[in-house]
Amino acid sequence: MAEVQRRKERLDRGIKVRAESIYAVSSWEEAAYLLAPRIILVLGLLLAPLLVQSPYWKRVVTVVCVYGLLGLSFDFLAHFVGLVSLGGALATGVGGYASALANKALGLPVFLSIPLASLAGGVVCTVLLLPCLPLRGVYFAIVTLMYPLVLSRLVEAFNILGGTDGIPGVQGFGGPWAESYIIISALLLCLFGLRRLVNEDLGLILRGVKDNDQAVKASGISVTRYKAIAVFIASTLGCLAGAYLAHLYMWAGLSLFALDFSILPIAATVIGGGGTLVGAVVGSMILIPLSELLREFGTLRIAFYALVLMGFIVVRSEGLMVWAQRKYHQFERWVQI
Amino acid sequence: MLQVRRLMVFYENMLAINNVDLEVPPERIVGVFGSNSAGKSTLMYTLSGIILDMRRKEEMAGGERITVAGEILYRGEHIENLGPSERARMGIVLCPERRRIFPESSVLDNLKIGAFLATKEQARSTLEFVFSLFPKLREIRRRPGGFLSGGEQQMLAIGRALMAQPRLLLLDEPLMGLSPLIQFMLMEAVKQIRQERRISILITEQYARPVLPVVDEGYVLEHGSVVLRGTGQELLENPDVTSAYFGV
Repeated sequence: MAEVQRRKERLDRGIKVRAESIYAVSSWEEAAYLLAPRIILVLGLLLAPLLVQSPYWKRVVTVVCVYGLLGLSFDFLAHFVGLVSLGGALATGVGGYASALANKALGLPVFLSIPLASLAGGVVCTVLLLPCLPLRGVYFAIVTLMYPLVLSRLVEAFNILGGTDGIPGVQGFGGPWAESYIIISALLLCLFGLRRLVNEDLGLILRGVKDNDQAVKASGISVTRYKAIAVFIASTLGCLAGAYLAHLYMWAGLSLFALDFSILPIAATVIGGGGTLVGAVVGSMILIPLSELLREFGTLRIAFYALVLMGFIVVRSEGLMVWAQRKYHQFERWVQI
Repeated sequence: MLQVRRLMVFYENMLAINNVDLEVPPERIVGVFGSNSAGKSTLMYTLSGIILDMRRKEEMAGGERITVAGEILYRGEHIENLGPSERARMGIVLCPERRRIFPESSVLDNLKIGAFLATKEQARSTLEFVFSLFPKLREIRRRPGGFLSGGEQQMLAIGRALMAQPRLLLLDEPLMGLSPLIQFMLMEAVKQIRQERRISILITEQYARPVLPVVDEGYVLEHGSVVLRGTGQELLENPDVTSAYFGV
C-alpha cells in the first residue's frame, strides 16, 4: 500500500517524567517547570489589586474571588464526591446572615465573625442537607436549589432577621487593601488546601463514593458520614464567601440568597474545566470580568454572555484547564503507523 | 462478505488492534478467541462503527485520542468512514457485550425497537422466527427487560439484533457469565440462525470450548495481533489453543 498513514501521538514531556519524582528535581529548570504555573496563579492573584486602579475594578477582583470560592465548593462536590449541588446561594445566605448576627448581636470583630460564621454556617447547611444525602444526581440538585428559595421566603414572611430590609450596619473591613487581600488569601488557602485534601485518604474515599458508592459501603465505610463531611467542607467554603460578602457590603439581606450564587459558579467550573479545582477559579476570572465588560451593551449583555458560554461548552467541553494542563505536560507529534 | 485488511486501532499510544487481517465469507460462522484485553471488543466496535462514535465523544471531552487505520470492506465496498447507523442499515448488526438490553422496556418492546430498520412484513416474520428460536421469550414477552435472568437477557439481545435484519451478525461475548447448558443452547441457536437466515456470523469469546465446534473458521487474538488462524477442527487439535483457551 503506497499511502502512508499517520497519527498524532501524545507523549509526556521528559521534564514532566523526571520532575514527577521528588528525587529528580535536580535543576532550576525542573523546579521551575513544577512551580511556574502555581507561582503565576499566586502572584497574579496577589498583584491583581495593585494592577487595577479604579475602586470599581478592585471590587470586581474581590467578586471574582468570591465566585472562585463558590466554584471550588461546587467543583469539589460535583467532581470528587458526585453530588451536583445547585445550592451555592444556600451557603452564601446562611454564612452571610450568620456573620452579620455574630458581628451585630454578639459584638465579635470581623476577624472572628467570618471564621466563626463559616464554621457555624457549614454545620447549619450540613444539617439542612443531611436528609437529602442519600439522593443523587438531579434529585439532590433540585433539593439544594429549593433551599435558598425556602429560606429567603421564610425570612420575608416571618419578618425575622430584619425581613426585607436585612441587617444593616455590619462592620466593614476598613479599607480596600484589607478587602482585597482577605478574600485573595482565603481563596488561595482553600484552593491549595482542597487540592491536597482530595489526594489524602479522605479524598480517596470521596472519589470512591463518586465512582461506586455500593463498593465503598461493601468496604465497611459509612457513605453518609463521608458525604456529610464533604458537604460540610463545601458549604464552609460557600459560607466563607457569604460571610465575606456581608462584611464587604456592610449589610446582610435577601440578595445573599440570589440565584447568581448558585448558577455562576457552575458556569465558571464548566468553562475552567471540572475536576481540576483550579479550573473553577480560572473560570470565574474569565466570566466575572467578562460580564462587567459587557455592561456597555445594556440589556443585550445577557445574550452575549450566554453566547460565549454556549460557544465554550460546544467547542471546548473539556474546559480550559484540562486542555491547558494537557498542553503543558504533553507534546504531540505525527508518527507513521 | 467482510474483509478486514491491516486494521490498526490505537487508544492514545496503546495499540489495541495490531495489523489484523480477517475475513468473514458469506454464510459462514467465524470465531475470534482471545483473553481479556486481547482486543476482541475493540475489533467489534471497529467493525460495527461504534468506535467512530467513541472517538468523537473522547475528542469532545478531551480524553484519549482514538486512531483507526486500515481497510474494512463489506461486500466489496469501503465502509471505514461510515457511522454505526449507516453500517446497521447495510446489514452489519452488533449484539453488544453485556447485552445492553433496554431494562425498562418489555421483551416485546425490546424486540420492536430492534426492528426499527425492518419493514412491517420483515418484523412480523422475524418476530416469529425469534420466538421459535427462543420459545422462552414468548412466555415472558410482557416482562421488563431488567427483570430477566442472564441467559434470557442474552436470548433477548440476540433476538433484538436479528430484528434489525442483519446480513452480518456480530456477537460480542454472547456466552459471558452463563451456565454450560445455556451456552450449549445458544450455540445451537447460532447454528440454526445461520441455516435459516443464511447470514454470516462473527463471534468473539474468551472461552473457546463451546464455540469451536460451531465455527467454520477461527482466529486467535493475542495483544491485538492474530497469532493463529484455522478451521474449527484445526484449532481444536492445536495444543497451544487447548492449553490457553480450554483451561486444560
